[in-house]
Amino acid sequence: MVIVQQADFDSAALVAQLRERTAGKAGALVTFTGYVRDYAPDQPTRSLYLEHYPGMCEREINDICAAAQARWDVTEILAVHRHGELQQKDQIVFIAVAGPHRGDAFRACEYVIDALKTRAPFWKRETLADGKQFWVQQRDADADKTQQWDPQQ
Amino acid sequence: MNGTAINVLYFAQVAELTRLRQETWPIDGPITGADWLARLEARYPQLAPTRRLKLAVNQYHVPLNTVIQPGDEVAVFEPVTGG
Repeated sequence: MVIVQQADFDSAALVAQLRERTAGKAGALVTFTGYVRDYAPDQPTRSLYLEHYPGMCEREINDICAAAQARWDVTEILAVHRHGELQQKDQIVFIAVAGPHRGDAFRACEYVIDALKTRAPFWKRETLADGKQFWVQQRDADADKTQQWDPQQ
Repeated sequence: MNGTAINVLYFAQVAELTRLRQETWPIDGPITGADWLARLEARYPQLAPTRRLKLAVNQYHVPLNTVIQPGDEVAVFEPVTGG
């Protein structure tokens, strides 16, 4: 299930619902939550604006989740991503993977967030404490990490 | 969308530089992504170098040798930074 929304989300409720849906099939549940950073080497982020490509975002994340489900033994993957104006410490993204065993659930969860970072069409514009604004650049480390899942690509 | 144009979408930095989010762009036939990016750079020199930009055609990421057809939705953007 993929949800792209401006509103905040309640990760505890999402986990409880995922447990309900996968009752009797999942002995492991792995989650990842990404937040707006509240630390920085020079000056902290005041806010973050997330622009997105409606429609393509949902489809691309759906494809990523489907690829993870084909590759690992997992029962369900839930991905939630916010867009719009976010403040320091806000939640941005939530991935939850339920499956029979932890190994595949951990790997599928990490794959989904890695692939999402390099494929889902979102762009972050950061505003620093002093008001300076800039578009965040994709990190080489993120691109490299996604490629590690598919070295032959 | 008619048969002799593409629907172009600009996002984030690219939208700021073109001061547009969308425009209809006439093309006289199929054209590769790389050739079209060269036309884009000619129209908007402030986007140079466009080699760094990414294309999605009909909402799928595509390599630059992809052939764009009249009627396609073509999105232009910097590498994505979600998550």
